[in-house]
Amino acid sequence: MLFTSYLLYASWGLRFLALLVFSSLLNYALGLYLRRRQSATRLWAGVILNIALLSTFKYLPGILSLLPNASLKAAFADIVLPVGISFWTFQALSYLFDVYQGKDLEPSLLEFLLYMAFWPTVLSGPICRLPNLLPQFRESPKLSIEDVSCGLDRICIGLVMTVLGQVLANGLHPGQGLDDAFHRLLPGGTGPDVWCLAIGYGFELFFNFAGYSHIVIGAARLFSIRLDENFARPYLATTPSEFWTRWHMSLSFWVRDYLFLPLAMVRRQMWWRSTALVLAMIVLGLWHKGSVLFAVWGFYHGVLIVLHRKWQQSQRRFGWRLPGFIMGPLSWLITFGAISLGWILFRAGTASQALTMLRVVVTPSQYVSPVLPPSLYFAVFACVLGYFGTVGVTSLWRYNRLFKLAPELRVALYAVAVYIGILHAAQTQSFIYFQF
Amino acid sequence: MRHLLLTVRFFLGLVIFVLVLELCARVDDALSYNAPFWAPYNTEILYTRDQIGQRGRPGARYEKWQLNSLGYRGPELRPGTIRIACFGASETFGLYEAEGQEYPRQLERELNSRVGRDVFQVVNVAYAGETVPTATLRVPEIVAQIHASYAIIYPSLAAYIWLPSVREEPVRSSAPTTDASYTQVRFEWRIAKRLRNLLKQALPSIVQTKLRQREIKEAATQYPVMDRVPEENVLRFRGDLSRLVAALRAREVEPLLVTHATAFGKQLSESDRELLVSWRKFYPMLREDGFLDMEQRMNGEIRQVANQEQIMLVDAADEIPPGRKYFVDFSHFTTAGAEVMASLLADGLQPLIDARLPHGTPVEPSSPAELKKRN
Repeated sequence: MLFTSYLLYASWGLRFLALLVFSSLLNYALGLYLRRRQSATRLWAGVILNIALLSTFKYLPGILSLLPNASLKAAFADIVLPVGISFWTFQALSYLFDVYQGKDLEPSLLEFLLYMAFWPTVLSGPICRLPNLLPQFRESPKLSIEDVSCGLDRICIGLVMTVLGQVLANGLHPGQGLDDAFHRLLPGGTGPDVWCLAIGYGFELFFNFAGYSHIVIGAARLFSIRLDENFARPYLATTPSEFWTRWHMSLSFWVRDYLFLPLAMVRRQMWWRSTALVLAMIVLGLWHKGSVLFAVWGFYHGVLIVLHRKWQQSQRRFGWRLPGFIMGPLSWLITFGAISLGWILFRAGTASQALTMLRVVVTPSQYVSPVLPPSLYFAVFACVLGYFGTVGVTSLWRYNRLFKLAPELRVALYAVAVYIGILHAAQTQSFIYFQF
Repeated sequence: MRHLLLTVRFFLGLVIFVLVLELCARVDDALSYNAPFWAPYNTEILYTRDQIGQRGRPGARYEKWQLNSLGYRGPELRPGTIRIACFGASETFGLYEAEGQEYPRQLERELNSRVGRDVFQVVNVAYAGETVPTATLRVPEIVAQIHASYAIIYPSLAAYIWLPSVREEPVRSSAPTTDASYTQVRFEWRIAKRLRNLLKQALPSIVQTKLRQREIKEAATQYPVMDRVPEENVLRFRGDLSRLVAALRAREVEPLLVTHATAFGKQLSESDRELLVSWRKFYPMLREDGFLDMEQRMNGEIRQVANQEQIMLVDAADEIPPGRKYFVDFSHFTTAGAEVMASLLADGLQPLIDARLPHGTPVEPSSPAELKKRN
């Protein structure tokens, strides 16, 4: 399995593979070093080395491009971001943190190399943790019908979801998708247009990344490896905190466990916990890309969570209470709207574009006839409706019951999913999270 | 018995899987391109044959390629426009550009936007694989059909690698013949093409290059392998080009010659070497470096013909930057490449247009009656 993983990664470039092997060996050595004596200095040495490696490829070229020194710029101009570096660096860090916290982890070198390069997750996550994978690596592989059928189901669901993401990105007609809307059609956009783009992009990202996660989890399941879930119906969240327990869970839980909680425990005051939360969310934003917009996006989510906590405290203190049938939908609506607006910061090409879009949203006079093509509105509306419809149906009908079909019919459905997910979309499809 | 049953079910599943994939491909084609559900659907749909060779089938459509009622790629002729014919091969016909973004279409938009009116129509009379001699034979028919005032000649050079592919004594008639290859009903797996494309995308380029090299090695055993294109072939090209120019001028069509641009710069990168191998796959008889030499020598001939015949020349080989931004493969344009080409051609045509359309003077395009008289 390690050989297959390296072969897959090498197809992106032998230099990338060399870097992955280097990082794996370095972190394995750091783990051994830390296990001998669990000191904060040793942990910090490991953290700094990993952050330095990640920054060299991910953040340094961007920072240097801002400097006037041409020779420095030229020296780093050829640096290419190795695919998946953010994911496997965070996996390495979680291993060091777990060792420091005294968790009983003693992987062999081969096991650790496989943990870092495990082929379904090495390109774009989910960010795994060694305590979950190690026992499964050690078990002799047992291929069961249940694992195979569940794995194939997940892969097919993922393929269909990624195609939906692609439909939103490219539109129902050429040049009428979200990508074009963000690039070309936006100047002159009205309030409804910005909302359509924000909500549409949120769903595009969800279908793309959650679909990819389904494929990865399904592929691992084919080898009897159970990965942690990465998404859990995020758009049903009724609070910003809940959203982050449902969206890109492997990253948000990583940030919670290894950044926010240790930071929050430094001081007991409320203001410090809020500060730690905002700081943790800024890091979460910067994990995606070293740009001001991503930092602002993280800050925005940090502030949303803090504001929600303040609201909860005020509710408790003053005894404010609304009936559940009003409070539930209202909370959901506010959360959904706030999360959607945040996607503007995530997707906008420049800060000025983001500002323009946000200004339009808060200007009542901008709520006039839309300028975006009706087909884009239709695509977004259909995807949103389809998502909530599917979520509703699968809540009523249990997943297993829904998919208890005759094997022949199941095979036919797999073929349909493979066609629309791979053969039809192979020309244009790309996973948004590969760039992180 | 249980094993036998399991095996039967496994193969049944496999058959169902493949059949459903094929069904999906056919439904996809029907919905996306209005393709026939049962009949064969491939590039052959676009072509018919006459005694000169391959020509466009009037009104045919295959995927993004739509031919007009005359069998040329692009929209129907608009009356009252100044027409420019584009002669060439697959680079001109357009392969990889988005629909409507091949350089003749972009050139038409560029020219019309420069004069601020819908005055020009660029007619793409090229087909994939068309040679200069066959284009020369089609000149009388094309000029009679479209009444072109100008002709852009962007010849494909590779046909001259292997002279037998360019007929010495072409037939004089262009009467359509029955196209048995397409009308003959036969089954074809539409999923096969998609799987092949998918495999091409999935295989690392290093593996693809190795596979191509193996194919070339096998094919090269059937031909004498050359280091460079023989001088005789280059001279033949020059003669053919001069004849095409003469045929156009004899019908009062002013030609504009364009040198052949490729993706290769002066310094070859590793991926350039891989591209050369993929080019050689079509002409295994010529070694990789021979292609670069051929481009240089034949472009030199184009420049000389332009100079000798006092024809406008657009030096696309020099002007279009090499690299993958403008070329999908060795010589076919990306949409951006076609845009650069269109812009260069518009610049090249500007003096001719200025002469015809004095600046600031609205000039009525030729009426159909005038055009008829002229021809």
